[in-house]
Amino acid sequence: MQTTTPTLELRNLSTEFRIGGKWHAAIRDVSLSVDKNETLAIVGESGSGKSVTALSILRLMPQTGARHGGGEVLLEGQDVTKLSEKQMSRLRGNAMAMIFQEPMTSLNPTMGIGDQIAEAVRLHRKLSWSDARKIALDVLEEVKIPAAAKRFNDYPHQFSGGMRQRVMIAMALACKPKVLLADEPTTALDVTIQAQILTLLDDLKKAYGMSVIFITHNLGVVAQIADRVAVMYGGEVVELADVNELFAHPAHPYTEALLRVMPRVDTDAANLEPIPGSVPAITAKPAGCTFAPRCALREAICETQHPGLSTLPGGTQQVRCFVRARQAGGQA
Amino acid sequence: MMRFAIKRLLLAVPTLLAMLTAVFILVRLVPGDPAAVMLGDQASAEALNALRTQLGLDQPVLQQYLHFLGDILTLDFGVSMSTGRSVLHEVAQVLPWTLQLTAAAILIGSIFGLPLGVWAALRRNAWPDYLGRLLSLTGLSFPAFVSAILMLLVFAIQLNWFPVVSSTTAEGWGGQLRNLALPAFNLGLIMMAYVMRVTRSSMLGVMGEDYIRTARAKGIRPMRLILRHGLRNALIPIVTVVGLYFGTLIGNSVLTEIVFNRPGLGKLILGALNVRDYTLLQGLMIVFASCVIVVNLITDLIYGLVDPRVKFQ
Amino acid sequence: MSALVSTAPRTSALWLALSKNKLSWVGLGLLLLIVGTAVFAPWLAPYDPLQQNIAYRLEPPSPEFWLGTDSYGRDVLSRLIYGTRISLLVGFVAILIAMAIGSSLGVLAGYIGGLFDRVVMGLVDVLLSFPTLVLGLMIAAMLGASLENLIIAIAITEIAPFVRVARAPTIALKQRDFIEAGRALGYGPLRLMGVHIVPNMISDVVVLGSLWMASAIRTEASLSFIGLGVPPPTATWGSMIREGFENILDAWWLTVFPSLAILLTVLALNLLGDALRDAIDPKLRSE
Repeated sequence: MQTTTPTLELRNLSTEFRIGGKWHAAIRDVSLSVDKNETLAIVGESGSGKSVTALSILRLMPQTGARHGGGEVLLEGQDVTKLSEKQMSRLRGNAMAMIFQEPMTSLNPTMGIGDQIAEAVRLHRKLSWSDARKIALDVLEEVKIPAAAKRFNDYPHQFSGGMRQRVMIAMALACKPKVLLADEPTTALDVTIQAQILTLLDDLKKAYGMSVIFITHNLGVVAQIADRVAVMYGGEVVELADVNELFAHPAHPYTEALLRVMPRVDTDAANLEPIPGSVPAITAKPAGCTFAPRCALREAICETQHPGLSTLPGGTQQVRCFVRARQAGGQA
Repeated sequence: MMRFAIKRLLLAVPTLLAMLTAVFILVRLVPGDPAAVMLGDQASAEALNALRTQLGLDQPVLQQYLHFLGDILTLDFGVSMSTGRSVLHEVAQVLPWTLQLTAAAILIGSIFGLPLGVWAALRRNAWPDYLGRLLSLTGLSFPAFVSAILMLLVFAIQLNWFPVVSSTTAEGWGGQLRNLALPAFNLGLIMMAYVMRVTRSSMLGVMGEDYIRTARAKGIRPMRLILRHGLRNALIPIVTVVGLYFGTLIGNSVLTEIVFNRPGLGKLILGALNVRDYTLLQGLMIVFASCVIVVNLITDLIYGLVDPRVKFQ
Repeated sequence: MSALVSTAPRTSALWLALSKNKLSWVGLGLLLLIVGTAVFAPWLAPYDPLQQNIAYRLEPPSPEFWLGTDSYGRDVLSRLIYGTRISLLVGFVAILIAMAIGSSLGVLAGYIGGLFDRVVMGLVDVLLSFPTLVLGLMIAAMLGASLENLIIAIAITEIAPFVRVARAPTIALKQRDFIEAGRALGYGPLRLMGVHIVPNMISDVVVLGSLWMASAIRTEASLSFIGLGVPPPTATWGSMIREGFENILDAWWLTVFPSLAILLTVLALNLLGDALRDAIDPKLRSE
């Protein structure tokens, strides 16, 4: 149970896309929260809405073709969905920051990396370029770029993928944000580099006291770094739990299926069971439970009524499933 | 960067040589006897032979070729058959006029074309964009002489805002500008259409890139986003494409000078064609082609300066 | 992975282009109108384009002569209609020749590689260092003014882009497995090039052709204006403007109508070519 205001809280957040002239919900009814010093992992397949959620928090969706569909995003209690674009831009890179998946293409090729970091500092802290650059250099050293001072004016193409990701992290952390959104930051990197980046992120989180939302499709990474986990499917949160609970007692059938699919050292590859069927398109969401068409537990009610999130006994795990909720005797 | 520049300079040399060879061959492919052309049908056989010897036409081709190369490289472009003066002299006399016109056109083209292209890219698929695309495509569809004539008809003949016949002895800045205006705008507006299209498409490509999203996520304001993150990267392909436009610009300026009766390389080449002045023609071909090669070289060098991926290998 | 690839025919590209881009309908419509004018010229033209009528010199547009008459008393409208034939013919044939020679050279250069490739690319560079109009000017002047020579001159100026557009995919495709497979099966180079490489790039070449046809017609008009086109008294738009230019102060109709004709034709081709290009290659999009 949380007794303090969470740093970031999403309440029934929805985002809609315009497809073929009509508006469809890409994510709906997403409710999450993250505390200080906590890492919340959002897991799901492609198309589950994880990236859309993160982009919606920062209101980085494209201005045409996408719109806020309802709900609130509360940063330390204040709803940022109501802010003007100008006010929002003061938060971005400042109180809330984001790092992205592709370090190769996510940095401006015609600007020195040092300046790309200093740019945000100068903007949000209203400093001169020379003062901002000093801070940027400090941050570069914090992310452990070797010979940071010498490489300050180098361009992104002169760095390797892992180094570029460190630069991205430096850019995001330069203004000491309260919330860090990380959208699959290690997916495009080698496994060994991945481990280094994850460790770095963890150290920095503790040092800065940040709240981190970490998006990934890799359950192995989740096990390593998450405190709590949100599982998303078809644009909705279908399960919310502490990381240990999730791996030990997954509640939602989709989570169970994901865990069965995940290759593990102690299971035979021949026993991997892919989940039959595929994720429904945004325009063709089934009535009732979104996962029902692929669910082994499906009952009549699942196909006609849409389940809400129920809290399971114990209070820390939530699941969006009629069958499981009933089995556990939890309250909706 | 220096290494890149030197390499690029060296590459220009064989192109230059190949071009000179091509001109040499081209001019000598002309049917007919240059000596006969110069002296007329009534000339005696001895006069013809004497002239041929003088022109070096009796030597074996290879020797003529080497002579030709040697001359060109020492900037001896020969003597104009029609005026008797050196080709370089003829060119130097009219060059300032052409340069004035071309510079004005490039100024108009880029100063208006770039911002319009950026604006169109930002207003994508709204009506200003459609209108802009249609207008720029229309602008590009005019052969330069057609737009020149239409401008002459409307602005000079009908409205009388500008002189119909270009005067080479215009009085003062005002007069000079009035003479320069229509031809410069003719060239400039066509170039503007081109620059606008290229800028628009380059900007559209760039604004969809990941690093724009990263910059937005940092809170970068729209103006800086568009200029420092957007346009600065869009400039790289724009520079290359605009550099390639130079050849078209030369062709357009030739036509413009003819229509507006302005002195310049264009009128010079026309005159040379009419009297079959092959030395002058040859020299002008070399001048034109050399300009294009030099401009391509400069474009590549600018590209190297503007794209850090080239500057720092 | 299929070993021997052939691409689906790209006739659908035209429909794709048309459906996406409203302006392309305008282009297509205009083009059909112009082609129709050229084909049906003898039936459409009210007078003989070469018929001189000194009594009616330099008449402004009137019910008798819709677009006026020129300095020889010839009907401008009829000359305009017949001029369509020349422009379209020259543009089309010149591009066809340039396409054929240019693409063949490009494919050969890409396939054979080595010194041959360097030489061909060197030639292309030289061609490209001459401004298009100046090059056409020189060649037309050298060869003398006639319809055939005009076509040849323009064809030469338009060869270079086709060489490039044919060479690049050839080099890329050369490395692909299915070529190796073909060679192992004993297919000769001609068969490999003709059956497997060419179909993969033909659509790009054709799109380029439509774009460059606009350029060819512009060049033809410009050369005719300079006096290097088809010799008089044949009616071509460029030479009509040339003659009309001498009377520009008194007889505006002599220059305006052929100008509009040229503009509309080139615009139509540009609209279509643009739309085709957008449909076929997203990388080349103007969108």
